[in-house]
Amino acid sequence: MTESGSSVLRGIKALVAAIAGWFCIALPAGADTLNEVLSRGELIVGTGSANAPWHFKNEDDELVGFDIEIARILANGLFGDPDKVRFVTQAADARIPNLVTGKVDIVCQFMTVTAGRAQQVNFTRPYYREGVGLIVLEGAELGDYAALQAAGDEVRVGVLQNVYAEKTVHKALPEAKVDQYDSPNLVSQALNARRVDAAVMDASTIRYLAAQNPDRYAYAGKAWGPQSYSCAVRRGDADWLHYVDTALREAMLGVDFDAYADAFEKWFGIRPDEPEIGFPQEYK
Amino acid sequence: MSEFLHQLTLSQGALLSGVQVTIYISFLSIIIGTAIGLVIGLVLTYAPFLARLPFRIYVDAIRGTPVLVLILAAYYVPAVLGVSLDALSSGILALTGFCAAHMGEIFRGAFQSVEKGQTEAARAIGLTFPQTVRYVLLPQVIRSVLPTWVNTGAELVKGSTLLSAIGVGELVLRTQEIIGRNFMTMEFYLVAGLIFLLINLAIESFGKYLERRLTYA
Repeated sequence: MTESGSSVLRGIKALVAAIAGWFCIALPAGADTLNEVLSRGELIVGTGSANAPWHFKNEDDELVGFDIEIARILANGLFGDPDKVRFVTQAADARIPNLVTGKVDIVCQFMTVTAGRAQQVNFTRPYYREGVGLIVLEGAELGDYAALQAAGDEVRVGVLQNVYAEKTVHKALPEAKVDQYDSPNLVSQALNARRVDAAVMDASTIRYLAAQNPDRYAYAGKAWGPQSYSCAVRRGDADWLHYVDTALREAMLGVDFDAYADAFEKWFGIRPDEPEIGFPQEYK
Repeated sequence: MSEFLHQLTLSQGALLSGVQVTIYISFLSIIIGTAIGLVIGLVLTYAPFLARLPFRIYVDAIRGTPVLVLILAAYYVPAVLGVSLDALSSGILALTGFCAAHMGEIFRGAFQSVEKGQTEAARAIGLTFPQTVRYVLLPQVIRSVLPTWVNTGAELVKGSTLLSAIGVGELVLRTQEIIGRNFMTMEFYLVAGLIFLLINLAIESFGKYLERRLTYA
């Protein structure tokens, strides 16, 4: 639901990516981004600048968000300084082209892992599992998933227009009436104006909106449709990929857990559980 | 409304920096593009066929390509060839190339509209070609080029909005960033639209001023 941009633009970018990809394959192997970054003294990260809570400009015009914090965790691991990172602003459909043409060392921009994309770039370990959820107005009569379900075909749900919109909504609320809107902004306007009882949005957006405006929005307690968000690096750069994987894993499960958990709590309003001490839980 | 004014106050720094980048890019592209365009126009009008050919190909290729494609090409093609330009330089390169091709064609038209007898007369009284350009052709050409030049300038300002696609922080991208924070889509796109209108009205009235000056000169 976070993909945007016209299909023409996507087509052009895909073409550029294809040409660039061809050149990259034609180039001799043996890229060593890890050493390049270390000798440069600065990590160059491709990300966006207009999608809260992932990567956006705050009121002081600084780039903030969960993707930004992930990039800072990586920079801190490299240089012991979370500020030694330069962000290159890019549109969502420039993620792969900018990576394969060497504009950036890594992309951290709410990038959904798909098998198709994995043939163009190397995905790192996922750092978030996105899905869609139901958002309602705080104090609304149909205030949680059980109530919405019980209301059957009386429920009207707003959703961002897309091919799978009806199907997506009906997975959670099989009988609901579905209203599709052109932009995320219009979806929230419909909810505010009570033209819909609930809206389907990215779970992260709901968590963020509810954390920012606790007296206005509430999370209805249902999320579905999993997709993994990972950073991406160029293909065939094993040391670099391994560094990023290690840094991300230890941020979620090891020594940097606090930095990850702080960022998670800051942007999504909840704190992940601390990893169990003892046998490493990821092998269970 | 008061929420909008509050957000507008918070965003004025971002909007202002967007306007600055938009004007900076447009200004540079117009100035450099016009200078190159003048040379192209002269070559297309007066040079022999073989010298003219590469310029003709350049002008036709650029004019036949959408600006967005030029911008993406200026950003990605040098990178593939091993020269990595940042987004801002790529944007200026693309718009300058675009402007040069259009101005070249505009200058060609203007030079050709000057009667052949005048260049012949200039040669007869012993003026060199640069002197002919300077004293005979340019004073007339500038006057006939002005309205289309102003038009091209306004087109460039509008074309610069496409640079948001490669992440240049011009007015449109800055506006999208503001909307990404406060979700006031209609309000802030309207603000951006008004600012673009103001910039282009200013260019237009500057053009009218120049036209008046040069007509009476």
